[in-house]
Amino acid sequence: MNNFSTGRNIIGIPRALSYYGNYPFYYGFFKALGINIILSDKTTTKIINEGVEKVVSDTCLPIKVFVGHVLNLLEKGCDKIFVPSLQSSSYKINNCSKIRGLPEIIRNVIDKPFKMIEPTIDKTEGISFKDFCFDIAHEYNIYNKDLINSAIKSGWVVYDNFLKMTNSGVNYETALQNAIEGKILNPQMEIVRPLSVVIMAHGYNLFDERISMRLLKKLEKMGVKAYTSLNVTKENALDSIKQLGEIQYWANELDLTGTAAYYMLNNKVDGIIALSAFGCGPDSLMVDEIQYHAKEYNMPMIHLTIDEHTGEAGFVTRLEAFVDMLLRNKRKALEINNPPKTLPPVIKKERVLTKV
Amino acid sequence: MSRATEEQIKRFSTMDNNIPAKDRVIAWPRMGRIDIPLKALLTNLGAKIVIPPANSNEALEIGVKNSIEGICLPYKLNLANYIMALENGANTLMMFQAPGSCRLGNYTKMAQKTLKKKGYEFDMVIFDMYRNKMIQTLHAFWHVTRCLNPWKYFKAFSLGFTKFYAIDCAEKMLLYYRPREINKGDAEKYYNKWLTKIDDCNSLIGSKFLCHKIRKDFKNIQIDKNKKVPVIFLIGEFFVLLDPYTNQQIEKELGDMGFEVRRQIMFSGWLEHVLKPSIFYKKESHRERAVKYASKYMKRAIGGECIETIGDTVYAAKNGIDGVIHIMPFSCMPEIVSQNILSKVSREEDIPVLSLVLDEQTGKAGYITRIEAFIDLVKRKKLRRGE
Repeated sequence: MNNFSTGRNIIGIPRALSYYGNYPFYYGFFKALGINIILSDKTTTKIINEGVEKVVSDTCLPIKVFVGHVLNLLEKGCDKIFVPSLQSSSYKINNCSKIRGLPEIIRNVIDKPFKMIEPTIDKTEGISFKDFCFDIAHEYNIYNKDLINSAIKSGWVVYDNFLKMTNSGVNYETALQNAIEGKILNPQMEIVRPLSVVIMAHGYNLFDERISMRLLKKLEKMGVKAYTSLNVTKENALDSIKQLGEIQYWANELDLTGTAAYYMLNNKVDGIIALSAFGCGPDSLMVDEIQYHAKEYNMPMIHLTIDEHTGEAGFVTRLEAFVDMLLRNKRKALEINNPPKTLPPVIKKERVLTKV
Repeated sequence: MSRATEEQIKRFSTMDNNIPAKDRVIAWPRMGRIDIPLKALLTNLGAKIVIPPANSNEALEIGVKNSIEGICLPYKLNLANYIMALENGANTLMMFQAPGSCRLGNYTKMAQKTLKKKGYEFDMVIFDMYRNKMIQTLHAFWHVTRCLNPWKYFKAFSLGFTKFYAIDCAEKMLLYYRPREINKGDAEKYYNKWLTKIDDCNSLIGSKFLCHKIRKDFKNIQIDKNKKVPVIFLIGEFFVLLDPYTNQQIEKELGDMGFEVRRQIMFSGWLEHVLKPSIFYKKESHRERAVKYASKYMKRAIGGECIETIGDTVYAAKNGIDGVIHIMPFSCMPEIVSQNILSKVSREEDIPVLSLVLDEQTGKAGYITRIEAFIDLVKRKKLRRGE
């Protein structure tokens, strides 16, 4: 067993759920406070299976994965685990109940002794992001306000760098790596691809390679450019939702409806791929919303559902069929717009047999 | 309050002023017997109403056909109620909602879209059960009736509230007498009789005595006083608990098996807690009790009835209740969290808990088998304890 120093200045962050959106911030914040971060391993089938054993079967896949990661951290010998409760991101804009009650689930399904760092952010009830950060610091007996405030600032610096890169088109992993190292990378030259799609999915589903079955890489291989929620700024996403005549109801609606709406309205893509976990409550509504509008805008759309039993073969088949269909559509559209140039008919002189 | 916050508050109000008040025909989704008090309330304000047919297989079929696959069961039934009401001539639909609890906050938005797509013309009046609830509620009723007479409001609301209490009183009596009655079906008969009486009552003073009369009348039922009746707590999701069609009449089934059911969520109690201004609300509400008892397992409310479910189970264990049945619709988000927590509560507090998941494909036979198995377990446990 890998024994980390179980001193007071460590924190274990499970590589699931809010890790995918907020890790750059967490990294800068904890680093400035002098707390060492231990990350769990990347998701494997073993981690998923361990998580599945602990929770009831109706629970959605991301939560099962999260539980698996917590167990993985415990195995590594880390006894302080970061389990945030992200209740609402703005007045009356709430998260899914399972994300809100994440500490409650972890507390009750894992029966090993460990300390849970469980800060809450709930803007409906007036618990701001600052309180969230102060809560974390107080758990480590850090009460120096200036230190905490400067830590929050340095967290934002890393996060902003990360967003700057992703918005300009750098892919998730490179951006994360560079943001952590404090560098800003300029995007490389784009290769023009024949097709482009937008993927509406939660970050924790899409960027987890095991859960999404390397969807992004698969699309790249097929020659399809995929846009994700990271390529859209929050303002643009929110505006697009309003333009569709909808309202933001879920805290993570910008990642799904907002992203899909932005690309659909600006006519930048040929199709929409929705990726969601089986039994996901918010997704069932958001995907339906986009499906409704996709019909209006005549945009092809596919809804891929994943759970722990999803087989890769069937998944790929559906994806390939969708991409083929997009290609066919595009070719047809091209043919209609630029009809094949026909040469002026050549008048052939008829040979007339003169000799009789 | 900042502008953004105000925008957030107003984002759901989509009231339409094009329909004059006298042409309005009002309908609302059904849940259990809330049609009786709401009918009294609205007719006293001078409104015309349409009561959609009770939830049934036919309604469910309409709901399933018109809604998406992933949505929860209550929405499907609500949508069916709207469609049936609109077919019967309604043009105004009323619904409350609580944004931020769970998918419930999205129901009206989705229903509006679906119904518009189907070509119905209507005005949906939504009142928010979050802040300024009483004002919002009054505004919604003013909007649909344009009634300005304060006496009428007083009468309508008092009558509505007392009828809610009377129905819940009759239900409590029914649950108590059903397992104990000697002639099977007596309690049910009395209950139905009182429901019609509550429905017919239209005087304010007469309605005040309803609860008292109901209690007195139920005492006429012959019961077996020496019978030992195990007590079961029924907890779970709000709609499923209160709608007998959706929960496949679990109360009746348990009662007929000789078990006293104590349903923890009563509509009147909930309504009182939600609508009454907090200065007038002195006693400990159900929610406060739940928060107190659940504190060992849960530190924060996460929407829906999750914290009530956990709190009630702990309360049951501390008060010598024999078992807990937890019912929820399929893919209900808050109740999945509570289902996860319940297994630990059940282990640590030593109380049997059965979680039942309901959806449109639940077969009655399998459902009953599971309840029976659970009942046997509870009985054996009671025997072993030497009672």
